[in-house]
Parts: sequence; structure tokens; C-alpha cells
Amino acid sequence: MNELFRRLRYLLNRRRLEEELAGEMEFHREMAARAAGLPLGNTLQLREQAREVWGWTWLDRLSQDLRYALRLLLRSPGFTIAAVLILAIGIGANVAAFGFFNLIVLRPLPVRDPATLVRFQRQSPKSYASVLPYPEMAFFREHARTLLAVLAWTPGTLTIGPEAKPVRAHFATANLFHELGARPLVGRLLDPSLDDAAGAEPVVVFSRGFWERYFGGDSSIAGKVVYLNGKPVIVAGVADENFSDLSLNTVDAWLPITEQPYFIAGSKLLTEYAVEAPGVTVWGRLQRGATPKMAEEELSSLAAILRKEHPNDIWENESLPAQAGAYASATINQGHHGTGARDPDRLVPIAATAGALVLLILTVACTDLGSLLLARGVAREREMSIRAAVGAGQARLIRQLFTESLLLGALGSLAGLGLGYLVLRGLMAVSGTPAWLNPAPDWRVMLFAAGAGLLSTIVFGLAPAVQIVRHRHRATRMRQSLVAAQVAAGCILLVVAGLLVRALTHAMSDPGFTYERLVAINPDLANHGYMASRADAYLKTLKTRLRELPGVEAVSFTDTPPFGRRTVTVGADVTSHVFRAHLANVDPQYFETLQISIVRGVNLRVADSHSIVVSRSLARAAWPGQDPLGQTLPLGGIRYQVAGIAADARVASDQETNMIYGVALPSDMPTMVAVVRTAFAPEVLARNMLHIAKAIDPRIVPDVRTIRSFVNESLDSKKDTALTAGVLAILALLLACLGIMGLVAYTVSQRAKELAIRLALGAKPAQILAVVLRQLSLPVLAGLLLGLAGAAALSRLLDSLLFGIGRLDPAAYLGAIVFFAVSVALACVGPARRALRLDPARVLRSD
Amino acid sequence: MPKNEMPSGVLLLLILKVLRSGPLHGYAVAQRIHTLSSEVLKVEEGALYPALQKILLKGWATAEWGISETNRKVRFYRLTAAGRKQLDLEMDSYDRVHAAIQSVLRTA
Repeated sequence: MNELFRRLRYLLNRRRLEEELAGEMEFHREMAARAAGLPLGNTLQLREQAREVWGWTWLDRLSQDLRYALRLLLRSPGFTIAAVLILAIGIGANVAAFGFFNLIVLRPLPVRDPATLVRFQRQSPKSYASVLPYPEMAFFREHARTLLAVLAWTPGTLTIGPEAKPVRAHFATANLFHELGARPLVGRLLDPSLDDAAGAEPVVVFSRGFWERYFGGDSSIAGKVVYLNGKPVIVAGVADENFSDLSLNTVDAWLPITEQPYFIAGSKLLTEYAVEAPGVTVWGRLQRGATPKMAEEELSSLAAILRKEHPNDIWENESLPAQAGAYASATINQGHHGTGARDPDRLVPIAATAGALVLLILTVACTDLGSLLLARGVAREREMSIRAAVGAGQARLIRQLFTESLLLGALGSLAGLGLGYLVLRGLMAVSGTPAWLNPAPDWRVMLFAAGAGLLSTIVFGLAPAVQIVRHRHRATRMRQSLVAAQVAAGCILLVVAGLLVRALTHAMSDPGFTYERLVAINPDLANHGYMASRADAYLKTLKTRLRELPGVEAVSFTDTPPFGRRTVTVGADVTSHVFRAHLANVDPQYFETLQISIVRGVNLRVADSHSIVVSRSLARAAWPGQDPLGQTLPLGGIRYQVAGIAADARVASDQETNMIYGVALPSDMPTMVAVVRTAFAPEVLARNMLHIAKAIDPRIVPDVRTIRSFVNESLDSKKDTALTAGVLAILALLLACLGIMGLVAYTVSQRAKELAIRLALGAKPAQILAVVLRQLSLPVLAGLLLGLAGAAALSRLLDSLLFGIGRLDPAAYLGAIVFFAVSVALACVGPARRALRLDPARVLRSD
Repeated sequence: MPKNEMPSGVLLLLILKVLRSGPLHGYAVAQRIHTLSSEVLKVEEGALYPALQKILLKGWATAEWGISETNRKVRFYRLTAAGRKQLDLEMDSYDRVHAAIQSVLRTA
């Protein structure tokens, strides 16, 4: 029996052992009294001294403090509810933000053995791509020793039934379900032994959502034949809604990837190496004992072997970086390839911004609580002096007050945990995330909430406790710094929200081209096996027939449809100015169709493939202070000459105005998308366009969409961001105003007598107000300055969300200041008016 | 040495020593030290009981119920094997320190 164990025994049998000790000491007294008169000393204190050896005194004091704190909080329910609510808002915002981060980055997806799943992308010193060509994946699958299994899928849109309803499909390797540990809801899932065999019947697995919507939850669906893209296919089964297929896409159906050419006529997915081809997203299941590094090295050396056979397709020094695969962050598929270094991770600045914003909310909440506690200190002066008089030391009193704050912090954490969960669930429901992304808090979130509660308790509770015990709580300095902190934090949030809202309205009002009357027609010729010449013929026919359609004003082609998902970026280094730009290969009618003006120089010409047009912002970035016309730009070994400068337009992505427009070559034709400008509502004409396109080649069902729908889609996510920032800012503003209101009210009540005398002596209202508000002006001013500086610093992180709005946009900053000043003024009005309506006679007689 | 300023380490040593000859209750421990020191050392409750609690906690003695000479049920402290070992250790170190102090006092 060691010492710790005995100590615990003392804790558990405390009551009995205490009685025994008391009895023993009583006996000692009796004996001593018999021998030589009554001994002196406080028996209770003597017993306590003996008990202290057991080492549990702190626990007694803690439970004493807690009981006392609980009684106190119960006695002032108004204060308690207000404090817990304020704290819940502050902590809840943080819990929601951390909960989301946890879902995306920290928590593994609900798949079998997530630790051994890795995702592979292509990388070389000159290029990168997020997907692999199918044959490269197949080569790795055959030869890699470090991988137990290779999983891959590629997305595609099919149509079902005679009404040609769209079906969002993933063509996947048949081992996908088995490797991820999925169970069927109905029938069976894809099975490598059945569906990978040569001559296997084509099968499809539907998602639960689609099965319920389209088939009305028909439980006898397995084995039935349905028609996808007009091809008969047997329904194998239905997957559970909790199945995560390593993508955040909403998927209606899964089909074996080997059947892809059967559904998409002429597709060369299974044999095509070109980087422009759709390719497959690839995961690997590590062999027991293998590390991601080992797999990465093996695949890179396999790539070098494959390059001997395909020197043009596999890149020089191609490597396949492996990242942990079973996380939502790893499934965010950029659908993206390009030259130069990979785009920096956009998740980091967004996460950092969100973290900073919610921390600011917590700061405001904590300072609010701090001033509430200080104000309570005034009411508790009598209690404190009594406790001090009966022998409580300063440390004991601080501990008592801090324990009360701890209790508040714990309650606030709990409420914040609940609030954060509700907020996150609400946001996820609105934005339509997949069902398997479960927002319920796990241990990480709970730990985070507890940590946030403890940290805020230290922030809001410790300093006031010390101040109250030392009788400094009446000092205005502390209150003033709290107000300054509130104003600063609120101001930062307002500016950030203002910037986001400004950016949003700017993006909605003007992407730099006429998007309202544009339609994109994507026949996806490359996927249907079209070679350059046939594609050219198809596009020519399409153009001719479209132009005959009444209401069509202009038709042109581009390989990068406006706001489309597929983008190509280039990173280039011209005269030591490094920049990134999107590349679009277009036909010369493109600028006229999108109504982007050529501000200088000349348009592209089909005959001159070495000329390019660059956007104005790119010209400024690449050749600052020089004439961009006639400059050369080396891209992929060819030197292009700048022939013209186009006005800035965000045609490739919603943020980038750095554009390089090149002439589409015959080899680009299979990847071209038609862009059509109409004279009136494009939705009406879109249907006719679909018929026209289908008539040229009935095998092809082109994707016809208005550009407006692309724009709206990309704005939607930004709207959510701006809305969230706006709500946070309003919350911070409310909390800050609450704090300021409290300070003014406190000043008035504390100085009521002085104010009454001034009133009685005939002071004017303005003078009274000046007295009340004087001590407020300095902290508010300091807070505003601090906040503006903070916002300017923080806005560096926001660049990627600002769509071309300057990060020091004066409108956002001025707006924030004005909004804030008005709110503060309004917050002061109520309590300040009380100062004017004081009745001198009553105030002076009151004590 | 003033009787009420006995260092607690020495008190522990004395308690362990008087328990060596057999189990005693708390008051008897104090009495025994008092008489054996020719009534020079007086052990107060405020020092004795914390020291006894520490001895129990360290496992140097166990407490058991017994009947006192006045026919009261009271706790007797019995030295354990670990307590005996501790006593030897403390005796050794006390002897060393005592000798060292003596030699300083004699020569300086």
C-alpha cells in the first residue's frame, strides 16, 4: 500500500477518520486535564492542523467555495443569466468555428481504417495536376508494392429515363465500397470480383437520396433494368446515406469506372494520358507497415519507369506527393492543373480569418463580463469587508471570487457548446453538406469548449477579482481599458464585415463582362473521343446553326468557360516580377461576345498563334511602368508576344483578373465550350440551343447553362461568408454597446450626488452630459484607432475573398466608423438621460 | 533547546523511538517523551497529532483499537517494518548531524 493509495483512503473515509481523530484528541485532553489542569488552545483549529497532513484541505475549500458561489449565483438569477448568455455567445461562436475546422481538417471521414488512406496528386518542378490519367493510375495499381489497394473515381453527368433527368454520377473503381467499409441499404454494392471481370454486365448503385426521390424508395429495385444515357443497366443496389465516397459532392449514382466508355460514347478515359483529359482522382490504401513517404517514393520511381514508354505524357521528375486521404480537407478537389508551383492553400487564410473573428467576439464577451463583475464588486463591498474582518486573507478572497467566475465559465462553456452545435448544424443544413458530415461535438470540440471556458474565465475573472479584493474596483482606468478593448474588437469585426459586403456587392454588380445574357454550351467533345478535325467541324456546324437561331447575337469558343470549374493557371517570371494568371484559349470573337473591350493594341488573329492578349491588371503586374505592348511572355517553351490589352474581367474565376488570352489551336478544339450572347432572357433560348446541339451528334448531350447560374453559384458561398461575418459583427457591436451602456449607467449612479449638486447649482444639460461622457471619450477614441489598425492588419488575410476590392477600401472603413459612432451614441442616450432627470432634492436627501 | 521549538524532524524520530518498544496511544506517546526527557520536552497536541497523521500516511505505523488504562476505547499506534527501517535511518542521520554539531561546538 503506497502513500498515494493511503491518501485516497483518507479522502474516501474522511468523515469516519475525522470523527476518530476528534475522539482521540478528546481523550488526550481528558488525560491531560487529569494530570495537570486544562490545556490551552482551540480544539477545532488543532484538529484542522492534524487533518491538513492528509492533504485534502484544498478540496474542502474548493467545495466550500463552489457551494457558496452556487448559492450566490442562484440568488441573483438576472446577473447569472445575463453572464452565461454573454459567455455562451462568445464561446458558441468559437465552438461553431472550431467544430467546422474539426470536421474539415481534424476528424477522419467515417470510412474503414482511415489512417492508412492516402491521396495522390501529380507534381513536377514545372507542372501540377490534382488528377491522374487513368492508365497511369492502372500502372501504379499493378506495380505498387506499398499499396494494398488503389481507389479512383471520376465524375460525370448522365441522364436517366425518357425524360432525360440528370444524374450526378461517379465512375469508380469497383473496390471503392469495400475499401471504405460501406454496407448496402438494398441489394449489393460494387464488387471487384463481379464488376471488374471482363464482360461483366454494366451495373449501377444509387445513393439513398436519389433512390427515394426517383424510385420512391422501391425496395425491390435490385436487379431491375434502368436506362442511363439511353443504355440499359442493371441496378445492383442502394448505398447508405452515411457512405462517404471521399468527396464532398452530392452523388446520385456510382458505376464501375471500366464501364465509363459504355455510357459516354467515344470516351477515351481509360487510355488517354493528356493532362487536359478528365483524369481520375486517386487514393491508395497503404500496405501494413508502409508509410505515406514510402508510397510516395515508390510511385515516383514507377512514374520514371512509365515515362520511358510515354515520354510526352509523364512529366520529367514527376513525383506523387501523398497526403493523408481520409479527411474532408483532402477531398476538396481543385479540378485543376497548371504550370509552376501549386496555388497556395486557400483554406489557411480563410480559417485564420474566421479564427480571428470569433476570437474577437470572445474578447468582447469577456470584457463585457469583466465590467459586469467589477460593477458587482461595488455591491459586494460590505460582504468583502466582513469576510476580511473575520480573517479571510487576500489570497482566500481572490480564490473565492475566482471560483465564482469558474462556475460561470463552466456554465458558459456548456451553453456555448450547445449554441455552437446548433449554429453549426443550422449553417450546414442551409449550405447542404452531405449527411455523413456529422456536426455533433466530439471529444476535440468538448475539450475545446472547456479550454475556451477556462481561458475566458482567466481573462474576465482574474483581474476583477484582484481589483475587488484590493478595493480598486472603483478605479476608472480598468473600466476604461475594458471599453477600449470592446470598441477595438467590435470595430475590427465591423470593418471586416463591411469589406466582405462591399466585395460581394462589387462582384455581383460587375464581373467585368456582360454575364446576364450569356449561355455556355459544353459538348465535352474530348470525352466523346473527338479528334481535332472532327471537333473543329462539329463546332463550326454548331456555330452556324446557333447563329441562325433568332435572338442569338454572338457566338464564340473558349476552353475556360466563365466561372467554370476547370481552370488552368500559369505561374511565370517576367523580368523578375512573379505573377499568377489564368490562361484561356479563345477564338477572336470572344471579346466581342463577352463585351470585354480591347483597350489598347489589337485583337487576336487565328493566323497568328504567337500573339496573346493580356488583361490590364496582368500588364501592370508583369511590366510595371513599361509599355506592355510588344513584350514577350515565355510559356511552355514558346515566346508569346503581347498584341493587345483587354479590360479587366473575372472570366476564369471570381477573383482573378490576371488573364492571358491565347488563340485556340486546332488541338484545343476537343475541349472547347461555346459561349453565346442572346438578345433577351437566355433561359428561354437555352432549351433551343440544347436541341440544336443534340441534332448535330445525337450521342452527345451537352451541358447547357446560363452563365448567370455559374455566377450565382460562386457568389452563394461568398454570401454565406459575408452573412456570417455580418452576424458576428452585429453581435460584437451589441455586446460592446452593452458594455458602454453599463459604464455610463454606472458613472451616473456613482456620481449621482455630484451631478445633483451641479444640477441644483444650475448646470446646463450639455455640461452634465459632458461630465458623464468625458471619461468615455478617450477609451472609445483609443479603441476606434486600435480597431482600425487591427482591421487593416487582419485584412491582409482576406485578400482572396475580396474580389478586387482594395483591402483598405475607404467605404468599408468609413462605414464602420460611422455605424459604430451612431450605435455608441444611441447606447449612451438612455443612461445619460437619467443623469439629466435626477431630482436634486431626492438624491441629496437619500443618505 | 526550548521545549516548544522542537524541530518536527526530531519529533518524528522521538515518536518512532518510543513506539519501538510497543504500541501506544497518542497521549501515552506524549507522556512517554515527557518522562523520558526528564520532563524537559513537552509535546503539544498541535505538534503531536499532525506528526502522528504523517506517520500513518507514510506507512511507518498502523492504528488499531485498544482499551486505555482508564478503560476507554482509543487508538494505539504500532510501528511497522517500514517504520523500524525509517527509525534506523533517522537515528543514523541524527547521530551524524549530532556528532558534527558537537564537534563544531567543542572546537570553535
